[in-house]
Amino acid sequence: MSILPKKNELGFFEIRLESIGGLGANLAGKMLAEAGVLSLGLKGSNFSSYGSEKKGSPVKSFIRFCDPDVEIRDHSPIEQPHIVGVFHEALYRTVDVVSGLNADGIVLVNTTRDFDEVRKDLRLEYGTLAIVDALGIAVEEKTKVNTAMLGALYRICDFLDPESMRDVIRKTFTKKYPHLVEPNIRTFDRGYHEVQFKTYSVPEGAVGKAFSRPKPLLGYETQELGGVITAQANSILKDLSGSRQGFMPEFKQEKCINCAACDNVCPDFCFVWEEGEDKKGRKQMFLKGIDYQYCKGCLKCVEACPTDALSDLREILGYADEHRVKQNFPYVAGGSY
Amino acid sequence: MAILEDQLTTKGAAEQISTFESGNEMAAMAAAQINYHIMGYFPITPSTEVAQYLDQMKARGEHDIKLIPADGEHGSAGICYGAAATGARVINATSANGFLYMIEQLPVQSGTRFPMVLNLVTRAVSGPLDIRGDHSDLYYGLNTGWVILTARTPQAVYDMNIMALKVAEHSKVRLPVIVAYDGFWTSHQKRRVEYFKDRRVVQEFVGEPQIEGYNFIRDLKKPVTIGAHMLGDDIINNHFQQSEAIYNAKEVFEEVAAEYAKLSGREYNVLDLYKMEDAEVALFLLNSAAESAKDVVDQLRAKGIKAGVISPNMIRPFPAKEIREALKNVKALLVGERADSYGAQGANLTHEVKSALQEDYHNKTIVLSRVFGLGGKDFYETDAKAFFDMAIDAMEKGYAEKPFDYFGHVPGDPEKALKPVIEPQYGDVYKSGLIEVKMDEATNKLKVKIPPLRALTGKPKRIASGHGACPGCGIFAGLELFFKGIEGDIVTLFQTGCAYVTTTGYPNTSHKQTMMHNLFQNGAATLSGTVEAFMELKRRGEIQVSDDATFVMVTGDGGMDIGMGSAIGTALRGHKLIMLEYDNEGYMNTGSQMSYSTPIGHMTSTSGVGKAQRGKAFHHKDTAQIMAATNIPYVFTGSEAFPQDLVKKGAKAQWYAQNVGTVYGKILITCPLNWKSDDRYGTKIVEAAVNSCFFPLYEIEQGVTTITYNPEDKNKRIPLTEWLKYMGKTKHLLKEENKQLLEEFEQEVEKRWQRLKAKHENPLL
Repeated sequence: MSILPKKNELGFFEIRLESIGGLGANLAGKMLAEAGVLSLGLKGSNFSSYGSEKKGSPVKSFIRFCDPDVEIRDHSPIEQPHIVGVFHEALYRTVDVVSGLNADGIVLVNTTRDFDEVRKDLRLEYGTLAIVDALGIAVEEKTKVNTAMLGALYRICDFLDPESMRDVIRKTFTKKYPHLVEPNIRTFDRGYHEVQFKTYSVPEGAVGKAFSRPKPLLGYETQELGGVITAQANSILKDLSGSRQGFMPEFKQEKCINCAACDNVCPDFCFVWEEGEDKKGRKQMFLKGIDYQYCKGCLKCVEACPTDALSDLREILGYADEHRVKQNFPYVAGGSY
Repeated sequence: MAILEDQLTTKGAAEQISTFESGNEMAAMAAAQINYHIMGYFPITPSTEVAQYLDQMKARGEHDIKLIPADGEHGSAGICYGAAATGARVINATSANGFLYMIEQLPVQSGTRFPMVLNLVTRAVSGPLDIRGDHSDLYYGLNTGWVILTARTPQAVYDMNIMALKVAEHSKVRLPVIVAYDGFWTSHQKRRVEYFKDRRVVQEFVGEPQIEGYNFIRDLKKPVTIGAHMLGDDIINNHFQQSEAIYNAKEVFEEVAAEYAKLSGREYNVLDLYKMEDAEVALFLLNSAAESAKDVVDQLRAKGIKAGVISPNMIRPFPAKEIREALKNVKALLVGERADSYGAQGANLTHEVKSALQEDYHNKTIVLSRVFGLGGKDFYETDAKAFFDMAIDAMEKGYAEKPFDYFGHVPGDPEKALKPVIEPQYGDVYKSGLIEVKMDEATNKLKVKIPPLRALTGKPKRIASGHGACPGCGIFAGLELFFKGIEGDIVTLFQTGCAYVTTTGYPNTSHKQTMMHNLFQNGAATLSGTVEAFMELKRRGEIQVSDDATFVMVTGDGGMDIGMGSAIGTALRGHKLIMLEYDNEGYMNTGSQMSYSTPIGHMTSTSGVGKAQRGKAFHHKDTAQIMAATNIPYVFTGSEAFPQDLVKKGAKAQWYAQNVGTVYGKILITCPLNWKSDDRYGTKIVEAAVNSCFFPLYEIEQGVTTITYNPEDKNKRIPLTEWLKYMGKTKHLLKEENKQLLEEFEQEVEKRWQRLKAKHENPLL
């Protein structure tokens, strides 16, 4: 008798975690898979979407479980998961996080918002939505988001034994950081208990979310020879705001002395300058604001600012769009940006 | 050996434990259990983890392998060869162009017959650069004279690594062996795997190294000459010996595998045959893709189609006889290959399979060849199904409509072709007219005037927003401050490294001006070619350009390790270009391995901290002084924490590169991810590095050293610990137990600082 709640044609129960680098989704995926394989005797595999491992860029972690008699031969990414775990809400802007989700699948989202708002953003028609304020828990316990998310994932994967994860946490921290054992166990337990569920009934014959394999923008007839790019600086069309992990700089122009200390240290060239005249009528450069589309929230500028013109701001949804000062790049005429 | 075999037989299967690990972890596990003497290595994705795991185990005291971080793969191959010449047991791991960089050494080792084991974690060969898996690197290895075993799963990686050594050292073989497994799909996917609980089981299986009867650099009482040069009359005999030996490797592998099966319960034949007994259509696939195809075989068989999969466990020697037998009754075979042999109407293994079949006069198998899954392109069940459909079509028609083709390539939509986003940025846009550089004839030094930096915000950046660097990355602030000092156009060459990778993810680029990439062992030489050609084209009147284009080679500290030779050669030739190094004290782009610029005691993923090891073992490389010794006109150090200083140095660098010759500069930059520091403190950390005199700001102009900022004069000097306290990678150095190590570091910093001050005070030094 299988302990797995559901299986696809190849016999797999599949989980996909959607995150950005630095939130520990890979580690969470590994721990989840390890628990199923080593404690419960399931077969399983775990891997990530590999790119250049930069903090703040989108990553996926995949977990496959199957019964011990099934061979795992498939090693391609999970396209039609039973469970999706979203570690970072800002990902919705750039990634279709629920792509291919089973009709009766479960989406777990790290959020402070309520069910219906999240559901709307995810364009989820039916299935189960699980929400947990993993960031809130982590901030309160001074731990990591991934441990709270793991707690919630354990609740969803009820065939896993939460006690085994508590053991892993104890083993991980006892020796080197004994003071971290209790907060981490609390984080895990709070994720486990505080996750809330709401099921949107699945109509008869409902199908899962459609999925599509990403296709390259260019092909062999449209790539320039040798992979040369002539559209210089086209990365300015990218939206990097999803890299921020909760904080951003706030700019108060009235306190700014236009010293350029922020501009000198900004890794992402977010500061927007404009020529104007100073009180004596001399031409000078003035700082107009921040282009939040590129700001990854490192806050180096806040440290560099000799006045109070720049300060930390806990990001509020919508603030960046409202206060963004767009960079005045010399766009080509006729473009649509 | 026979005695050992008997013992094992009577012992029966040895005790094993289950774990959940990846292919790289299992390669490292096997190496640790064998307890090799030496590993000479250089990190390259995706093989890097093998050395990292071995370093972690070493820090915990779990093996005694001496891990030697080389200056490049060519160096690593040299270390391994030299070590193997003593009869020591040697292991290495590499991928892609790393493998190609060492390939010149591989026939040397096989031709002089010194066994070792190399894990080739297969990845696409550049260019264009692609870090993910295919077999284009492996195919370059086919003619090296090394035995090649292939491993489809993490379990096979462990097993093959143990068997490989025994095959390599066998008296009938005495050749180095490659174990090839798929980058990422096998190297990074975790699976349940079994390993021997007691490492002695592994050690008994591989046996003691064979010393008697072989000639090594070992017993100085028996002097030997290794590597005498030959002429054709002799070399043909040497190579004949080699040829015999590699064919012997097949039988030896069969023996070793049979013995291993008794011990482990896992069998490996030279060919892995899945439902081939009565197959009429089949796929021939190497490594992980073969596994995916097996699921499709099951589906086709359920529909009554007699399908099968062949996947070799060994490709050198090529198991021609077994393949002939397996294909006896197969009507159509598709050979799918993750590489091409351009222009050959099929990649290498297609031709080897065809040539194996040619010797069977009765064989009528139709062979199709498809190049697929390059550069990490995934192989889905539907792809395997498509392959079978093509084979079935050929079977039904009695011929292959298209014997050779690519699979998975797409023409692209002309509507979506890349279009310019911004107007070209060049020339006057980058001339602020606010920077003045003049040679002071009296002092023979440049005088530079720059405006308040506020005024220079009107000059556009050379690099655009939207690049993919980590939050708080120090690279771009450093580069842009330097570029601010340069008036007019720049042409850059970015060597492989974080700055390159994060600014050029196809089809995006963050470069406004012209930029070129080359691999980091060769960027300086490459740009010297560009500069000279540019000048020559101009001299002949074939291009009209203004005089002030400045050529800048941008590199990380890693590129100044592997590319040191190229950089020095370029400096000695005196080309008019700038080499600008952003030093983040490690190979951060590949996952924070130590570089020669990593300071002593600092933790990286290959200089771990544990009971048996305390971070990096030796002092940081003084690249600025090395480059100064080439007597180029201008050398400098800089930091974003001292922006005016850096902008001025940019201006001077431009002047020297345009008027005199080569310039080298090093900028220390923070890597919050791998320094394990808070993103926001990036500037403060490098400021502390300067104020602690770890990273003094100075310049060497026409041989004369000037300290451009002296923290002692400003009463700003701080102890080294005030810098180290910011970073997780150095936290352990502040502990009482590492006091001695810290003192050693402090002494070195002080020694270099005093020497620098002496140079500052004396123009002749």
